[in-house]
Amino acid sequence: MKMNIAVFLRILLFISLSLMVYDYLKLEQSFIQMERGFIDGFSLYISPWPGYFFVITTILFLFANIVIFIIVWRNKNADKRSFLTFEYDVSDERAVGNTRKAVSHAFSILLVYSLLMIGSYMYIPNYFVDHIWYPLFTTASIPIVGLISYLIVYKVLQYK
Amino acid sequence: MIKNRVKELRARFDYTQGELADLVGVTRQTIVALEKGSYTPSLLLAMNLAEVFKLPIEEVFSKEES
Repeated sequence: MKMNIAVFLRILLFISLSLMVYDYLKLEQSFIQMERGFIDGFSLYISPWPGYFFVITTILFLFANIVIFIIVWRNKNADKRSFLTFEYDVSDERAVGNTRKAVSHAFSILLVYSLLMIGSYMYIPNYFVDHIWYPLFTTASIPIVGLISYLIVYKVLQYK
Repeated sequence: MIKNRVKELRARFDYTQGELADLVGVTRQTIVALEKGSYTPSLLLAMNLAEVFKLPIEEVFSKEES
């Protein structure tokens, strides 16, 4: 449960940051296009919600981090030296071993997924100009895919 | 392959999985995995288990030829 919350909040953090950055980039892009003479003017509605979403997610994330850190610190059986991020289960030696295995599997998946994502930029070279969302959200998808792979592998190992 | 007598000894000492887990400092899931034979414990955990059961370590764990 603790790990589900940790992974969910971390994914939410990446999504909220991407949405906020995307909102900002859309505006910046329109200014650049206008400066370069591609467009004469533009109208854009700037919503405060991506910013609020990011701030709320960050607060929840920090709060959950502190709570889990206290729980781990009070657990006399926990391997505190292995506690690097709050996604890592350090409740006992088997959990630490499973975390290591899950991280190494997630890393292997990330190596393949990153290669595919970088390769995908080759097909439409104007991603960075016309479809600015593409490089942004594919970059954000890399840690998200890693986190989901980590969670799935960990759960499989936990109930093995 | 290492096999163990944790399930049998736990029943003999009338411990629940949770009680045994607390005594040796692990989670209940680790005791479940040990009893299923899907987890090979560290030397420290094996020694702690042997200590709880008041037996030499080789009487709790043994090597199984595969």
